[in-house]
Amino acid sequence: MTQKDSIAVTGEAITLTGVSKTYMTASGALPVLRDIDLHIEAGQFVSFVGPSGCGKSTLLNIIAGLVSYDTGTVTVGGQPPREGRDDIGFMLQKSVLMPWLNVSKNIELPFIIARRRGADTAQRVTDLLELVGLSDYATMNSWELSGGMQQRVALARALALDPGVMLMDEPFSALDEFKREHLNIEVAHMSERFGKTTILVTHSISEAVLMSDRIIALGANPGRMVGDITVDLERPRRPEMIGSDRFQQISNEVRAALSQGMEESQ
Amino acid sequence: MTQSLWYRIGLPVGVFVIFVAIWQILSVTGTLNPVTFPSPLEITIAFGELVTRGYFWDATRITLLETLLGFIIGAALGLVIGALTGTFRTFRTAFYPFVVAFQNTPRVALAPIFLTWFGFGITSKVVMAAVICFFPVVINTVAGIAGVDENAKTLFRSLGASKAQTFFRLTLPGASAMAFAGIKTALTLALLGAIVGEFVGASEGLGVLIKELNFQLEVAMGFAVVIFLAVIGLVLYGLIELLEKRLITWARD
Repeated sequence: MTQKDSIAVTGEAITLTGVSKTYMTASGALPVLRDIDLHIEAGQFVSFVGPSGCGKSTLLNIIAGLVSYDTGTVTVGGQPPREGRDDIGFMLQKSVLMPWLNVSKNIELPFIIARRRGADTAQRVTDLLELVGLSDYATMNSWELSGGMQQRVALARALALDPGVMLMDEPFSALDEFKREHLNIEVAHMSERFGKTTILVTHSISEAVLMSDRIIALGANPGRMVGDITVDLERPRRPEMIGSDRFQQISNEVRAALSQGMEESQ
Repeated sequence: MTQSLWYRIGLPVGVFVIFVAIWQILSVTGTLNPVTFPSPLEITIAFGELVTRGYFWDATRITLLETLLGFIIGAALGLVIGALTGTFRTFRTAFYPFVVAFQNTPRVALAPIFLTWFGFGITSKVVMAAVICFFPVVINTVAGIAGVDENAKTLFRSLGASKAQTFFRLTLPGASAMAFAGIKTALTLALLGAIVGEFVGASEGLGVLIKELNFQLEVAMGFAVVIFLAVIGLVLYGLIELLEKRLITWARD
């Protein structure tokens, strides 16, 4: 067995019941989410797709414990979400690497903040570097890497504390199509292998279909669920699946749910 | 495009040599009045004489001491006040308006007051230098803290970082490049503050020396001191740039 297997299979279930959120703005109350009921099984890969303003990022931030909600209940692994839970890994659209730290030190950051740096941390960082294919770049400055590589470092950092839940807010959207597809497949494989519960927020229907077990379509004004589509493509996922009939069918289902939602909004 | 060393060094040196040559020619032909506008050669000879005199080096030591003490005190205070202002909103609301108001008053006007308060010794000059270099450090530190990436703050929140962790591991290094730009300006300004302070009233220092030489119509020596001050300014700037390159390795243009 390789060292990578030290990363355990640790998925956690996520449950949202009647979650609503309204932002107070200068021009009055702005409802962003209404009555979200959603149960995500441990180990499931779920994507949130929808137009701008549908509240998909807000929903993700609520699950991450970064944003409060007005009504309803949320549990992640049986516990209410909050900042700084070691079992939740978070990845943003930008890689947000600290330029004053090299690649290894960036990956080490969660250990330092959680005060969990120990004798095994160095080995863990080495394993994570290998996992994301950056073993040769450990001592490089983060800003010397390409955009795709920087996002890999961010992925390794999000995985650092071996979270049961991975929350990803459009982490691939700044990459060119080729790198994006490549990283999509890699992340899909990691999720298959480690069984982490994963939520991906994305604008891209094909990215969602390629990676997910399930796609939640959201409509805007206010943000609400307009579709819950199962992706029954076999695993492991492969890039060629994008051309398959089944892939197109599922993509069209997602598209239909989103257009339906748009009509209801108007 | 990379430019050769010859180009980057050779071109300014060439311009300097031509400038000095034209100056010398204008002096020799009598276009420039030799009493008020000595030639480069005379200035060089005057400088050669100056360096043999003990009082010149005493004055240099005093001015450098005033500059460096003023710089260290002013920059350190600037960093602390800047960090407090950038971090605590109440502190900012309460005190920053005064910083901005004070920044926009000509601070050299304070020199006579400092003289009354602190006397003819080095203290009044150190205070003048510190006051002058305090503001760019405060303002740049505040701007650096304000410029810390919002995404990075979100990341630190998601990791559950404490206020102290966020300050020392994100805000401080994140603001340091900008703060250091203020520190660089401050060092140059500290020298200015020390000289202005000496002009207004002092018993020793290069500023005093310039005034005295002018009074005695030793214009060539006065020029020599001014050029020497320019060199001191350049050397100090070079040193602080070296320090910056060592400390802030990640800032790219």
